[in-house]
Amino acid sequence: MAKIRYTDALTLALQEEMDRDESVFIIGEEVGQYLGTLQVTKGFLEKYGKNRVVDTPISEVGIIGTGIGAAMAGLRPVCEMMRMDFALPAYDQIAQHAAKIRYMFGGQFKVPMVIRGPSGVVNQLSAQHSQALEALFCHCPGLKVVVPATPADAKGLLKSAIRDDNPVVVLEALKIQFQKVDWWEEIQEGLSEVPDDPDFYPELGKAKVLREGTDVTLVGYSTMTTTNLRAAKLLEKDGISAEVVDLRTLLPLDMATPLASIKKTHRAVVVQEQWGLYGCAAEISAQIAERAFYDLDAPVQRVTGAFVPMPYSRALETLAYPNENDVVAAAKRTLYGK
Amino acid sequence: MPDPSARSTLDTMAKGSPAAEAATPPRKGTFDQEKYLRFYEQMVHIREFEEICEPAFRAGNHGIGGYLHLYSGEEAIAVGIIGAMDLPKGDCFIGHYRDHAYALAAGSDPGQVMAEICGKATGCSKGKGGSMHICDAERGFYGGYGIVGGNVPIALGLGWSIKYRGGDQVCACFFGDGSMNQGGFHEALNMAQLYKVPVLFVLENNGYAMGTSIERSHANTDLASRVESYNMKHDTIDGQNIFTVHERVQEIIAGMRKDPHPFFLECKTYRYHGHGAADTQVTQATYRTKEEIEKWRTQRDPILIAEKILMEAGALSQADRDRIHAEAKDAAKAALKFADDSPNPSPDELLKDVYA
Repeated sequence: MAKIRYTDALTLALQEEMDRDESVFIIGEEVGQYLGTLQVTKGFLEKYGKNRVVDTPISEVGIIGTGIGAAMAGLRPVCEMMRMDFALPAYDQIAQHAAKIRYMFGGQFKVPMVIRGPSGVVNQLSAQHSQALEALFCHCPGLKVVVPATPADAKGLLKSAIRDDNPVVVLEALKIQFQKVDWWEEIQEGLSEVPDDPDFYPELGKAKVLREGTDVTLVGYSTMTTTNLRAAKLLEKDGISAEVVDLRTLLPLDMATPLASIKKTHRAVVVQEQWGLYGCAAEISAQIAERAFYDLDAPVQRVTGAFVPMPYSRALETLAYPNENDVVAAAKRTLYGK
Repeated sequence: MPDPSARSTLDTMAKGSPAAEAATPPRKGTFDQEKYLRFYEQMVHIREFEEICEPAFRAGNHGIGGYLHLYSGEEAIAVGIIGAMDLPKGDCFIGHYRDHAYALAAGSDPGQVMAEICGKATGCSKGKGGSMHICDAERGFYGGYGIVGGNVPIALGLGWSIKYRGGDQVCACFFGDGSMNQGGFHEALNMAQLYKVPVLFVLENNGYAMGTSIERSHANTDLASRVESYNMKHDTIDGQNIFTVHERVQEIIAGMRKDPHPFFLECKTYRYHGHGAADTQVTQATYRTKEEIEKWRTQRDPILIAEKILMEAGALSQADRDRIHAEAKDAAKAALKFADDSPNPSPDELLKDVYA
């Protein structure tokens, strides 16, 4: 077990899979000669060559299209979006083609590709580069959507995504990607630990309890899982025992794990980074209401971002997405102000 | 209402385009009679297949609904190009929603294609795709796609996979003139040339993107010249003459195998039916004249052109011609009967094939 950063975990995952399987290649903007916009693929071009580390023009439609065609023909492309925001010009290729090809051709083709890149709300990148777009991908049957919250999952789930036979969107948590090991360990001991085993690739669609508790369940994913862990520590000081469930993947969505937790705690707070209206937390809350209504002692609470394009000014930005205090307040609402 | 007679692809052709020069095609020298007879037969079978789809759609009792785009008038392109490919060796192709002919030209079972159009369990896509999503993985047909231009970036990936493995196969990508005004098309062409992938981009220029003529949608109406900005090799040919299409494509493919590169081939052609089944004679009157359609049907029909050449060369007798047409009609009827006799997809199919 090594203690490493989230970003190093991503690099390791890509490296191990490229070493293991010659059909894996990386394609995207600045992935080769520039060493990767975020240096995730640093040294890859030198090691694997131009055929497997493909620098492209700023042409997301072309990048995703190349991935789809290559995947249908039996390769395992990893398409890097410099930011997931830039996947939007290629949304037609992703939602209308990659996601639907298997079904609309009656199962004749597989599309084993990964679309990955940094995602989420990040310091002062403002309206067009600081947002959480997972709901757009979750609305597409045929896609899998992976949202790793920890270094271990950044490595393991990315490896699982590459080995999966379906198009998988991996949304990497830029806000916490470069946090040092100490930052993780401060939140929770062992949180930066990553298994060394190159065959560690967890099944997609299994949520995980990261912290056990008895009074309230905090459900989240990606950056918000770390926010929930910090909220749980604050709640502990007030004598409230919070259980933290990390969903890890949104498609497939594992509801059994949060529902089992709620059966125990009888209270639920669902946290997502942005836009609550029609967001993932809405779906999760609805499922809790439908399937665990009689387990609940209080209405499910959602904690989400404000329904605005992300503002630039720090003074406004901090108001636009949830922090641990918002989660604490929501948890206390389920306990009727206890 | 715009005056449809204000433009005419026929007029454009009359101004010295390659298609015009081939209007009365003399055939010099020898040719592989057996092969071209086979192509002729395939074209006739495709025509009869398409022509039975239309009334079957209107009849409303065969399960055909939604959109239905027919290939009648464009047969020489699919047959001449797919006929130049080595499918067992791994050549492949990808199409758009006017896609029945690609499968039939590759030798897919007409019954399965018709069953797909009729939404039956025996369809090539299990009745889940319909007319626009015919495919045949075994024969290298990576499917028909419903979004204009959406298949072009995917073709780039198919070509990339050939390059990646160091093979000498080629991929053909069929699309219409409307695709050339989509952004993704240009991303794909730029990248194809940049990476020298062996993709033959086949423009089926039938003059209209649905109801919008080339003149009303392309700032530069010399469509093949638009790819010069990507330094891509290109050519424009008469898409109605199977000999022209096939011979030119054989040359192009041989060159691509020797030295992998993309190629852009514009085939001038015409569709006899409306854009789709919903484009009726009434809506067609907004953008083209009956006279224009009639001119193409009588003067530029790919089957009639092939027939004339084959008969003049003594390769086809009137009796053979009649037999082939009768057989094609029967085959189309048999395909429809197979579809009619096939079961609907069972309810438990609904959620299958979403994920691998």
